[in-house]
Amino acid sequence: MGFAEDYTEPTSDSRLERGLDHLQQNSRAYLLIAPTIVFLLAVIGYPILETFRLSLFRAPSETSIETFVGLQNYVEILNSDVFYQLLWQTGRWVVVGVAAKTLLGLLIAVHLNGDIAGRKFFRTAFLVPWGIPYAISAVVFTWIEHPQYGYFNAILIKLGVIEEGIGILGSPEIAWIGTVAADVWIGTPFMAIILLAGLQSIPEDLYEAAAVDGAERWHQFRHITLPQLKGVILIATLLSTIWTFVSFDVIWTMTGGGPIDTTHTLVTWIYQTGLENGNLGMGAAYSVIGFLLLMAFAVVYLRVYTSGGEEL
Amino acid sequence: MSDRTAGRAERSIDRREMLGALGAGGAVVITGCLGDIGGGGNGSDGNGSGGGDGSNSLQFLTMGVGENIKQFFTENNKKFEEENDVSLEFTSVTWDNAQQTVNNRVDGDKAPDVGRWPARWIPQLVGKEALVPLDDMMGGDFGGKFYEGMAEGCKYEGSYYGAPWAASNKCFYYNKDVFESAGLDPENPSLDTWDDMLAAAQTVTEKTDTPALGLAGADAIETGSQYYHYHWSHGADLVDDDGKPVVNSDAGVEALTFFSDLHLEHGVTQSSPLSSTRQDIRQLFEGGDLGMVIAHVYTGINIDDSDTDFGYGIVQVPKGPTGRFSLNTIDAVSVFAQTEVEDAAKDLLRFYFDEDRHFQYAKNKGFMPTIEAVGERDYFQDSKNWAPYIEAGQYARARPKLTNFNEFNSRVVQAIQEALGDQKSPQKALDDAQSDLEELTG
Repeated sequence: MGFAEDYTEPTSDSRLERGLDHLQQNSRAYLLIAPTIVFLLAVIGYPILETFRLSLFRAPSETSIETFVGLQNYVEILNSDVFYQLLWQTGRWVVVGVAAKTLLGLLIAVHLNGDIAGRKFFRTAFLVPWGIPYAISAVVFTWIEHPQYGYFNAILIKLGVIEEGIGILGSPEIAWIGTVAADVWIGTPFMAIILLAGLQSIPEDLYEAAAVDGAERWHQFRHITLPQLKGVILIATLLSTIWTFVSFDVIWTMTGGGPIDTTHTLVTWIYQTGLENGNLGMGAAYSVIGFLLLMAFAVVYLRVYTSGGEEL
Repeated sequence: MSDRTAGRAERSIDRREMLGALGAGGAVVITGCLGDIGGGGNGSDGNGSGGGDGSNSLQFLTMGVGENIKQFFTENNKKFEEENDVSLEFTSVTWDNAQQTVNNRVDGDKAPDVGRWPARWIPQLVGKEALVPLDDMMGGDFGGKFYEGMAEGCKYEGSYYGAPWAASNKCFYYNKDVFESAGLDPENPSLDTWDDMLAAAQTVTEKTDTPALGLAGADAIETGSQYYHYHWSHGADLVDDDGKPVVNSDAGVEALTFFSDLHLEHGVTQSSPLSSTRQDIRQLFEGGDLGMVIAHVYTGINIDDSDTDFGYGIVQVPKGPTGRFSLNTIDAVSVFAQTEVEDAAKDLLRFYFDEDRHFQYAKNKGFMPTIEAVGERDYFQDSKNWAPYIEAGQYARARPKLTNFNEFNSRVVQAIQEALGDQKSPQKALDDAQSDLEELTG
């Protein structure tokens, strides 16, 4: 076939000519990847563009009427108190959730990496929560936290800590903690497994050398384990942040965003606005803002973590 | 036969089989595209020929026709065809697809001639001028057959756009065993007014360990459907005659104060109403762990069908200072404006609202009858579960018909939750809701 000789460097001077030369000389390669590009544009590009287009319309979902309103939806969102409340609630949900998952995952991974009895069993068992559909786990947690029937309240009552069941998910102050608890339970196994894989890739020699030099376990953890795990932690927390940010099932199943909208995040609000309340245009505008926030976060996060010249 | 020949023969057979399969598949596709023609169909989207092609054919679109009622439609559709010399194209869609199907067909000039669907969708289609006003029918003998509140449920902007096909409403349950334990008379519970209810709830709370009253505050639609009884019966409304929000009237504040005080001041509810959905409190009652609850007919039927052993009574939802209401949800039958066979469409309505036919439907399907004479039959009147619900027909009231009712309701429920959660006073909660709703409704 001789594809290799087709990939030649352009020789012309002007940028346009160089580009055309490149295209001409590598046309076969572009032709071959064209179906993939078309497919990706169809399944990734089109929904994004359609969401952006919709965000410029006053578009009720229950009728076919659409009215072009330009950036009005965005202006309304940015001028509303709800948006900033949602930002705070989403940030709280993501930061606390990801931090808890990372810390717990690290704790579990370090223990599973040690020589403990039943290690294989525990490694398998820790995967179970991640394998259960999120909505099912959320329902289970709803029952655990139920004020009348829940185990959590029953234990506290038995211990004499409280006299009657606390409606965790009905309390505007603490309902978000009730949903975060479920999300942490679901997401921690992923963190644990990823970090365990990272731990197992650290050469044992480093620990032996540190031990010979008299380093305590904490110093070994701080100066060997954590730096060696940096890349893994970066990827795991980035993925976890994205998943937690876009997480819908847990909150919607457990509280529907309530009570008094205190557990809503941007994602559940988008669903309620766009689909439940039938305001597709406004829902799409929230979606675009959420998408941009997530993109900005990912870029900044990767920049900060790779500022020392490290490549992922 | 040589291997080569055999190979060719096999390939030849493969092609024939493939062509056969394609042909069969094509036939299936074409049949599917033609829709479910004939009586008793179930589940196709029914995008067949548009309504009103000038011939003696009539399209009847319904939703949610399950096995328990399929036979009813099969037989009666056939009978209607014979009696009226018309070809009836009957289609049922699932509830999940129903709203989109109706809108798509209307937008695509493929509306059915007659459709049976939730009355709350009427405003959207009136906005598209997609429905025929039925004032001539509903204003005469035909309309006089229905419970007034149910017929009103099909009215929008002064005109009837449907006839009430089926309904569900609410009554008030109390646990006789709990009442007896509290020293209350289980056979004469005296639960006529909200104040009576509160007095009984206080007694139950004092004398027993069972939560006296179930309040649902967790879910928007369900919370609204429980609370609006209090709101309306205090003389408050959600919107005025022009469709403008009026949620923060003095009567509304009084109703919400009473409602939230049940939990905050009197402590007669289950713990944490804001954690409870309607299902939660229904299950509490059905398990014998709750004194009183507003619920629908299936609560009694569920208790009868379960192993739970306790006595329960059903009375009307208590009345407030200005009256008594039972929240009603209604399915309507409408005639679509695109029809060219309006007379035949109206004949279909008259046919299906024949008393005996309507009785058979209500009985088989387990819905509230909407025709008063049917509700008066022994089958309903002699049933301890059904009779109070039939009686509640006279107190029927539907939610207001707004194109953006879900959004409207969510904001009102937020105010209810704010008051119930002691975040805001009822006055402040409703004032804030009113302000937001005015902005929402323009």
